[in-house]
Amino acid sequence: MMETAPSPAVEPFERIQCQWCQSMNEKSALACHACGAPLDIRNLVSESGWREAPRIRDMTEIQFNSSTCQVEGEIVPAAEINLGANDSIFFEHHVMLWKEERVAMSVMSLSGGLKRAFAGMPFIISVATGPGRIAFSRDATGELVVLPLHPGMELDVREHAFLLSSHQIDYSFVRVKGLSNILFGGQGMYMDRFVTTGAPGLLILHGYGNVFERRLQLGESIMVEPGAFLYKDSSVTLNVEFQKLGAGFFGGTTMSLARMTGPGRVGIQSMYVHHHTE
Amino acid sequence: MFCVNCGTPLLDGQNFCRNCGSPVKHPAAAAAPPSPLRATVAQPPLPAQVRNAAPVATGRCNWCGADAAGGQSSCPRCGAALNVTVPLAESGWTQMPARKDMTKLQIGNSSCQIEGIYVPVADMNLAAGDSVYFTHHVLLWKEPQVNVTTMPLKGGWKRLFGGLPLIMTQAEGPGHIAFSKDDPGELIPLSLQPGHSVDVREHMLLAATSNVAYDWFQTHIWFETQNGDDTETHYPVGCFMDRFSSSNTPGLLLLHAGGNVFVRQLAAGQTILIQATSLVFKDPTVQMQLHFEHPASSFITWKPWNNRYLWLRLTGPGRVAIQSVFERIEAGSSEMKRWSAATSARW
Repeated sequence: MMETAPSPAVEPFERIQCQWCQSMNEKSALACHACGAPLDIRNLVSESGWREAPRIRDMTEIQFNSSTCQVEGEIVPAAEINLGANDSIFFEHHVMLWKEERVAMSVMSLSGGLKRAFAGMPFIISVATGPGRIAFSRDATGELVVLPLHPGMELDVREHAFLLSSHQIDYSFVRVKGLSNILFGGQGMYMDRFVTTGAPGLLILHGYGNVFERRLQLGESIMVEPGAFLYKDSSVTLNVEFQKLGAGFFGGTTMSLARMTGPGRVGIQSMYVHHHTE
Repeated sequence: MFCVNCGTPLLDGQNFCRNCGSPVKHPAAAAAPPSPLRATVAQPPLPAQVRNAAPVATGRCNWCGADAAGGQSSCPRCGAALNVTVPLAESGWTQMPARKDMTKLQIGNSSCQIEGIYVPVADMNLAAGDSVYFTHHVLLWKEPQVNVTTMPLKGGWKRLFGGLPLIMTQAEGPGHIAFSKDDPGELIPLSLQPGHSVDVREHMLLAATSNVAYDWFQTHIWFETQNGDDTETHYPVGCFMDRFSSSNTPGLLLLHAGGNVFVRQLAAGQTILIQATSLVFKDPTVQMQLHFEHPASSFITWKPWNNRYLWLRLTGPGRVAIQSVFERIEAGSSEMKRWSAATSARW
């Protein structure tokens, strides 16, 4: 039998895979529907292996659940959410920029949240429920990192770096040991942990400056300034190591670096929180 | 005339009492008390409302409404790019229009070129006799022949009290002078047509042409917190707000806001909740008040005020602009003793 030419009916099933979040998109799409990454721009990977987080075009729309998110602005981008009825998202309340009055608000109670004080307040996660619009932005130049989480993913994020998360994602936080004496005046550093179980979810972070990501192989390590750490897969281990910057008899100072060991993804921000050396 | 504070007789043209230093209310200023309602009379039609599908074909700038026939690529009055559509979010907020680097604006015989993207610079080319005013810390550079003097401000003493710049500086042409602020953000050129006024949150001004009248009013937006014996009053949008008006000739107002700037037109009676510190400017017809929102909560804290959001509620009609970078109001979650007129919602 002769081979027939592919029928035109097959063509609508052609798909482009987003190289950032692996979602499948229609052939004609210019930006990924799940993470907003431009699909017509190739990956920007440095020779050392860091990939630049996709620069989301102004006014890009991202879909999740029954809601959409529009990313506006390129200096300090704002994420504007149009919540579907009964769809909800959670966030730290100080990132709210504006909202419509009809968006219902509630708070999520967290064990340990009262101990983890933030700016003199107990740490409380706020929940907004649709229908209605609400927008978020943070306080410094940077970019939004849109991370659609597939089922069964676990991601650790630097504290206060997450802008919002869809309600399917389970939220908890862990305290990073070993950093307690260096960071934040002895309070230690917390990492927010986001876990998906059965359903996928959307997580949006705000990184200061530019954001870069790399995928570490099993056992591969990279040393990162702790203030630059933005997120990691929970399979990546984080250990703080001290390096003495010797000055002979005169003591010198100690520099701390975070050793991240694979397998998994690591994200860093280029405008980092500077911690004083000991 | 006598000083309203200490009763000392005042001389003509005196701005401050020579005995106690109180600012003098001149009859002209007193006749027009700064009330947000004042400008509702004889407000000329608002500039053409921005639409995302408003192309060049209209021959008008879709940002400020200026006539822009004749194939320019940028609006001569506000610098908005003319050959692009204005991004309009579905929610009704419009972004500041894209502005090409090195865009030039014309104001009378002078011009202003806007340079740079991250921290834009306003580079003024002043014609002889034209002048601009600004606060001295935004001056980036100037040509030696540009004459810089201080501009006396009525009520300056009260301004100092409110933490606002006491001295306005004035530069007179001919020559070049350039201004910039010290953080990444957007430069907003507002062309004020005769009869128009705009209310601007403090510290947003970069420079204005001298034909723009500068006044201020009390916002009456405040709340008091108590910590032990200390009572503290907080002004989330500032104690004072600046009001810029153009009377006979069109003027140019240059503002600088942090991050990205979004503008929307509120219909009469339409409301929106915004972070108080994100406000950039508003039409005088837009009303402001505090708004407390209590989220639904399954647990009871012993400090219920920890669990409450503080908003600024804006009511139309009129135009409002916000910036995406805003300071956090730490005191917003403290216990409040008293506050200005406010609405509240409980979920």
